[in-house]
Amino acid sequence: MSGSPPLDAVDRTWSRRSAMRLAGGAAFCAFSAGPARAQAKDTIRFGLTPVFLTNDLELLNSLQAYLAHETGYEIELITRRTYQEVTALLVSGQLDAAWICGYPFVHYRDDLELVAVPDWNGKPLYQSYLIVGADREATSLEELSGDIHAFSDPDSNSGYLVTRTLLYEQALDPEIFFRKTMFTYGHRNVIRAVASGLAQSGSVDGYVWEVMREIEPDLVERTRPLRKSEWLGFPPIATSKVLSHSPRIEALTKALLSMAEKPEGERVLSMLRLTGFESADPSIFDGIAVKVALLRGVL
Amino acid sequence: MNILSRIRRLPLTVRVPMTVAILMVAVSGLISERVLDRLSKTQEVYLQRLASAYLDGVVASVTPSVLREDSWEVFDGIERMKPSADDILPLETVVTGKNQIVLASSDPMARETLRSLDPEFIGAFNGTGVRIDANTRSGYVRRDITYQNQLIGAVYAVFDVSSLLRERRQILVTLLATNTVFTAFLGFIGFVTVRRMIRPMQVLETHMIDAAAGSSTLIADSEFPVANKEAVSVYRAYNALVRSEMERQVLARQLAEEEKLASLGRLASGMAHEINNPLGGLMNAVDTLRLHGERRTVRESSIELIQRGLHGIREVVEAALATYRPERLTRPLADQDFADLRLLVRPELRRKQQRLDYQIDGTIDAEPRWPAGPIRQATLNLLLNAAAATPEGGRVGLQVMVTRKELDIAISDQGSGMPDSARSILSDRTNKQVPRDGSGLGLWIVREIAGDLGAAITVSRETGSDTVVRLSVPRTISEVSKVA
Repeated sequence: MSGSPPLDAVDRTWSRRSAMRLAGGAAFCAFSAGPARAQAKDTIRFGLTPVFLTNDLELLNSLQAYLAHETGYEIELITRRTYQEVTALLVSGQLDAAWICGYPFVHYRDDLELVAVPDWNGKPLYQSYLIVGADREATSLEELSGDIHAFSDPDSNSGYLVTRTLLYEQALDPEIFFRKTMFTYGHRNVIRAVASGLAQSGSVDGYVWEVMREIEPDLVERTRPLRKSEWLGFPPIATSKVLSHSPRIEALTKALLSMAEKPEGERVLSMLRLTGFESADPSIFDGIAVKVALLRGVL
Repeated sequence: MNILSRIRRLPLTVRVPMTVAILMVAVSGLISERVLDRLSKTQEVYLQRLASAYLDGVVASVTPSVLREDSWEVFDGIERMKPSADDILPLETVVTGKNQIVLASSDPMARETLRSLDPEFIGAFNGTGVRIDANTRSGYVRRDITYQNQLIGAVYAVFDVSSLLRERRQILVTLLATNTVFTAFLGFIGFVTVRRMIRPMQVLETHMIDAAAGSSTLIADSEFPVANKEAVSVYRAYNALVRSEMERQVLARQLAEEEKLASLGRLASGMAHEINNPLGGLMNAVDTLRLHGERRTVRESSIELIQRGLHGIREVVEAALATYRPERLTRPLADQDFADLRLLVRPELRRKQQRLDYQIDGTIDAEPRWPAGPIRQATLNLLLNAAAATPEGGRVGLQVMVTRKELDIAISDQGSGMPDSARSILSDRTNKQVPRDGSGLGLWIVREIAGDLGAAITVSRETGSDTVVRLSVPRTISEVSKVA
């Protein structure tokens, strides 16, 4: 899971469908409603993420209620369309914490600190899937030459970086190898693009693809993973280094790490299909860091 | 033409309701066509508005994405704009950029992204208006996408218009059903009404047909329609006509009777003459007997003379009796009848010093179709007519020929030819008119007898200056038919 939720203003209704579009956002994106406004001492600006569950509002309300209860702070949630916007808000200190992608975390490693990392199936790891239409017979990346390819977000690890690195390793330029590339700003959108035939292949978050297979089987079963990447660090909740030792972040960290132990927290986790949060070592993002290093100077 | 003539032969009670029904069908067809045409236009306007609203939304939503040629955003815009509540749903929406390149469509499998749009698909669209294709049950409409007065792309939308076509069909079915019921109902009303209206005429028709067949009867008071004054007036006129005809027939019978009596008178005077001639000889014979009766030779010759005279008188009397005694009229004709006729006309012939050429070929058998009375009457009338036409000292012919098919009686005279009026009375069967002044009554009786017997009368001028009237009386109808 990578990046912040691609929710745009049009989708503020938080319908199930719009929430699914946010599924790509792996970060709890906390953000401010406006630029540099004075922050109340008892408020945590927090981004809650993307949810692929049956009722987004229910999830958001549950998470907000849980965090508010556990931390004793008011919780404020907002989203942005691209990961870049969310990351910029976080790095600039306009958000207390955000659920971002591993790629921006590695990119801004010097400015950011981990708060907690979600556990999926008990591990803070996930994969990137290269997906194609379910009926397509292709078996390798080379066969995708000439495709229209759907990426999720230029700041997404699973939805861009992994495939981009793969091509680089094979000395392929995506703008030449593919007939056309497009950014859909949402992992669910990548699945929609490939399932509908708008794109012939796509790069998508493996966690999102697997969870959506349960929630929207009709859509997801029109696609299949052509290639799964190695296991990489799950999109973390991060904060700026400046705030990392503040009482708000400590309270937030505690609340997240103990989520699996509380009934309210368990309810939130079940909606997210996660098993909990852990205080993981930043080294789990080394795999992503290697890719970033590899492409340094190219991107 | 054949159908038209058949229709013309149909009774009025069928023709009028049929005409009403045909007119109703024509009117209802015209109205239905107008209604459907109007409905079609209304539906097109409705679809046009609906499509315009939809296209406005799509164009507003995708224009920035079209500018950037962002296929995903265009696709997402199309997906978000897809209505779900209307009856008329867009089946397919395609957004193209410059040069008709597909940026995105609602069904990328069918319209591949970033490929040229199928010219055949473009051809299905007609300007900016809606084009409805009943075959594909689809409505086609397109809209250009312009930005700062520059054409940057187009939206093509195909709508499912099944519901509109279904509505049209339902209305058509409703119209047809309603019109059928109305037409049938009005046709029935027309049938009943016309039947009631022409019923008096049918009664009149029946009576007139009977009258034409020779048995005219009065229309009974019970058959008079109370409310229909026109019919009552016509009935009265008809009854007056029938009464007049009946009176005429009575008069004709009286005239015929008088004619018969007149001819009888002529015959009677002839007969008196016939009787008177031998009477003188008889009286002489009686005187001779009285004076010289004791002489045997005188007595015997006188008695012989008296016997011959009486015999002649008896023949004349019997011939008269045979002609005028009704109970003898229905027996079949026999050879004796012609002998009687010769006897009956002899006085008239003698009076005019004429001679009768009599000839008979074949034997007259007892044919039931040849009743003695009418044939004797007709032949006698023709002989008397011939005698009257032939100048004094002339010759009258009576030639009888019996064949397997008919009895042929030819009466010839040496007159100056039969006048047209007399010829008309003999030969024109359609003329039922009784001669008003009594002239030609004898010939009229001949024609009536010939009509009753089914006999043919021909008038011709044959050898020399002779005029021949030929009466051909057929045997039984079945035999005649076989011969024919």
